[in-house]
Amino acid sequence: MNISLGFSENKDHIQATNEAVGQAIVGLGKIRADLAIIFTTIEFAHPLVLKIANNLLGGIPILGCSSLGVITNKGIFKHGFVILLISLGQQTFLNLALVKEVSKKTCIAAGRELGEKLLYGCKDVRRNLSLIFSDGLISDGTSLINGVQENLGRSFPLIGASASDNFAFAKTFQYFNKELLTDSCCGLLFGGKINFGFGIKHGWKALGKIRYVTRAEGNIIKEINGEPAVRLYEDYFAKDALELAKELRRISIFYPIGIYLQGEKEYLLRNIISIKDDGSLITQGDIPQDSPIRLMIGTKDSCLAAAVTSCEEAKRNLGAQRTKLVMVFDSASRFTLLGRHCSRELEIIKAVFGENTPLIGIYTYGEQAPLKSINYLGRAYFHNQSINVLALGGQ
Amino acid sequence: MLSFIFIVFCLIIASLGVFLLSKVQKLKEKEKQVEALKASLEEMDEQAKLIMRTDMELNKTQEELDKKISGLDILQKLSRDISTTLEEKQIFKKISNEYLEDLGFERSLAFLWSDLKKEFHPYLNLGYDDSETEKIKTAVNLDKGYYLDLIRSGRSASSAFIPDDFLTKDKIYQLFQVRSFIICPILAQEGDQGFIFVGTQNLETCITEGEQELITILANQIGQTLDNARLFEKTWRSQQELEIKVEERTRQLTQALDEVGKISKRKSDFISSVSHELRTPLTSIKGYAAILLAGKLGSVPDEIRNRLEKINRHSDELVHMVNDLLDISRIESGKVNMNMEGLDLKYIADKVADLLSEQLKTKNITFSSNIPEDCQKILADRSQIERVFINLVGNALKFTPEKGKISINAQRSGRVIQIDVIDTGFGIPEDAQDKIFEEFFRVENAINQEVKGTGLGLALVKHIVEAHQGRIWVKSKLSEGSTFSFTLYAA
Repeated sequence: MNISLGFSENKDHIQATNEAVGQAIVGLGKIRADLAIIFTTIEFAHPLVLKIANNLLGGIPILGCSSLGVITNKGIFKHGFVILLISLGQQTFLNLALVKEVSKKTCIAAGRELGEKLLYGCKDVRRNLSLIFSDGLISDGTSLINGVQENLGRSFPLIGASASDNFAFAKTFQYFNKELLTDSCCGLLFGGKINFGFGIKHGWKALGKIRYVTRAEGNIIKEINGEPAVRLYEDYFAKDALELAKELRRISIFYPIGIYLQGEKEYLLRNIISIKDDGSLITQGDIPQDSPIRLMIGTKDSCLAAAVTSCEEAKRNLGAQRTKLVMVFDSASRFTLLGRHCSRELEIIKAVFGENTPLIGIYTYGEQAPLKSINYLGRAYFHNQSINVLALGGQ
Repeated sequence: MLSFIFIVFCLIIASLGVFLLSKVQKLKEKEKQVEALKASLEEMDEQAKLIMRTDMELNKTQEELDKKISGLDILQKLSRDISTTLEEKQIFKKISNEYLEDLGFERSLAFLWSDLKKEFHPYLNLGYDDSETEKIKTAVNLDKGYYLDLIRSGRSASSAFIPDDFLTKDKIYQLFQVRSFIICPILAQEGDQGFIFVGTQNLETCITEGEQELITILANQIGQTLDNARLFEKTWRSQQELEIKVEERTRQLTQALDEVGKISKRKSDFISSVSHELRTPLTSIKGYAAILLAGKLGSVPDEIRNRLEKINRHSDELVHMVNDLLDISRIESGKVNMNMEGLDLKYIADKVADLLSEQLKTKNITFSSNIPEDCQKILADRSQIERVFINLVGNALKFTPEKGKISINAQRSGRVIQIDVIDTGFGIPEDAQDKIFEEFFRVENAINQEVKGTGLGLALVKHIVEAHQGRIWVKSKLSEGSTFSFTLYAA
C-alpha cells in the first residue's frame, strides 16, 4: 500500500484543490491511486471542488466529508483542504457505497441499504474493515450503524465519522466521487489483505450514583428514575430547564450522560442536543430503555490522557507492522473543551506514531467504532466526545 | 419419655428462637448498614453535585479567562497593526479573517455614516459576499435611526444585552444571519462615525461581558485611528498645498534669477565692450596730450599746458575707472583666474601703509596694524588682494580727517581669518551702508562732493573678496568712523 497526502489552505477553493491534489499526485509518483479521501473545512464544500478533484485524479473513487477543522502533520487548520491518495496492494480491494436522503427513510433502513451496497460484489471474499462518513446532523446515528451491521455483521470492524460544520449545526457535507451531498452516508469496504489497528477513548469519568433510564425512545430519554429526564441535570446543577437550555451546549460537552455497558470498561457517552418541553432530553445517539447511566465529568488532562491511550491501542493493534497512515476522527466537543490546547492532542498523536507518519483527520459530530479494539472487537457503537484513531499498516 | 421429648422439643424451639433472634438481629444490622450505605451514597451524590457545580463554575471562569487572554493578545496585535495605519480604508483592511476568528467570530461588517449622502456605507466586510453586504446595507439604512441612536448614546448591543430602544435580537440574527453578535459604535472625534458588527453562527458561542468589552476596545481603537488618519490627511493636504506653492515660487524665483543672470551678463558684456572701446580713444587722447606736453610739436603756453595736464589727469582717472569696470566685469563673468597662494598678511598691510605713507603723513593720520601670529598667513591672489587693501585703506584715508587713525586688525576663527580696516572718519549714514558695495553708488554728502571717486572701488573690492570665497561688510557710525571687515581663508 502506498500513501500520499496533499494539503492547501489557499483561500481560493479552486486554487486550493489544484494545489492539494497536485501535491498528492506528485507524492505518489508514477503509482496509480485506487482511492482518494478528501476532508475539507466547510467553505471548501463546493461542487466545483469535487469536479476539479475528479478531473485531476482521472476518475478514481473519491470519498470524504466536511468538518470544522482539518488535521494534518502540519497542524490543525480551521480553513483547509486535505487529500489522501491510497494505492492498494494487489491482494487488497475495496468497494464504495452511498445512501442518499437518509431523513426520508428510517435510519436503520438507510443503514441496511448502505450495508447491502457495501457488500455488493464482496460476498465471497474476506472482508476486513469498513469506513463510513455520515451527515453529522442525522439524529439517530446508532440506528444507522445497526442497519449497516445487520448486513456486515455485529462484530465487523466499522469505523466512521459524522461530518461537521463550523458549529452552526446547519449543514454538513459528504463527498462521493463527483457528488457533493447532504443528508447522506457514504462508505467503503476493504477486503483482502489490509492491516489496521484502532483505538477509541474519551477520558470522561463517572461521578454520582447510578440512575436508570426508565422510559426512552431512540435518542429521546423521557424519564430517569421515574422522573422527567431533565431533573437529572436540574438536580446536579441547581438550575431550572430554562437556565439549562441557555448553557446546554457547554453542559453537554463538559457533563455528558454515560451509559454503563455490561462487560465494557468505558462508558458510552451521549451529548444532549436539546431539552423538550416535557422535560425529555434529546441525545446525539440512542440510549436504550433500562440502561444504567451516570453523569460524566471531563477535564483537559483526562481528555489528553485518553488520546494517548487511544493512539497506543491503535498502534498495539498493528503489532509489528509499520504505520503507514494515521486517520483521526476527533470529536468537535473535544475541540471546544481543549480550546487553545487542542494542538497538544496532535502532538500526542505524533509522539506515539512518529513525527513524519502521514496523518489526516477531522473534527466530527459523532464517531463510530467498536468499544474494544483488541482481540474480540464486539459491536460498533455510535460515540460522542471521543477520539477515534485508525492506523493502517504495512511492511 | 414424653417429658423427655417435650424437653428436647422445647430446647429445639428455644434454640430456633435464639437463632431466629440472632438472625433478626443480624438482618437489622444489615439493614442499618444498607441504610448507612444508602445514606453515604446519597451524601456522595450530593458531593458529586457540589463537585459538578464547582467544576462548571471553574470551567466557565477558565473559559472566560482563556478568552480574555487570547482576546487581549489578538487585540494588542490588531491595535498595533491598526494604529500604524494612516489611511482610512486601510484601517479596516487590517482586520483580517484570522484576527476575527481568533476573537471567536467569523462574520464582521463595519459601517460609517456619511453626513454628505445621509447613509451608512460599509467599510469592512468579512464572511459576507457582495450581494449579502448590499442587502444588509439597505436594511441598515432603512433602520438608520436605531443605529444612529446607538452611536449617539455610545452604547453597545449584543446577544447577551440589547438596549430597549434598539432593534430586537431576532431582527439582528435574521438580518446578519448569525446566532450571536456584538455591535459597538465607532466614535471618532472628527468626521463620520459608525459601528462595527461581529457575529458568529456557532451555536456554542455565548457572548460574555469580557467579549463585549474587547470589541468595544477595538471599536474605540478604530475611532482613534480614524481620527489620526483624518488629521494626517488634513496635515498632508496642507503640506501638499504648501509644497506646490513653494515649488511655484521657486520656479518663479529661478526664472527671475535666470533673467537677472542674463541681464547681468548683458551688462558685463556691455561694460566690457564699452570699456574696451573707450580705452582705445583714451590711449590716443593721453598719447596726443603727452606729445603736446612734451613740446614735440612746438612750445606750449602755460595756459594750454595747464589744460593739457588736466586732460592728462582726467584721462588717467578715466583709464583707472575703465580698468576697474573691466576688472569687475571680468571677475563677475569668472574670466579672472585667482592665483591663490599663501601670503603674509602683515607684509601686505605694511606694504600698503608704505605705499600710502605720503598721504598719511600729509594728513597726519596714525596708521597701525594688529595682526596676531595665527593670522599671518592668508590664502589669496597677491595682486587682487593688494587692490582690496589699497582700496579700503585708500578710502579710509580719503574720509578720515587730519590727525585721525587707521588700523588694520585681524582675528582667526577656525580656518577663517577676519580682517578689519578701521578708521576714525566721518562714517557712513545707516541707510547707505547696504548700498555702498553697489557699482557707481556714492553717498550724497558734502565730503563726497570734495573727495573724488568713481563709485567702483568698493564694488571691485566686494567682487574680489567674493572671488576668494569670502564675505565683506561694514559697520559705521556717523562722526565716529567705519570698520570694513572681510574674510579670507588661512593658508
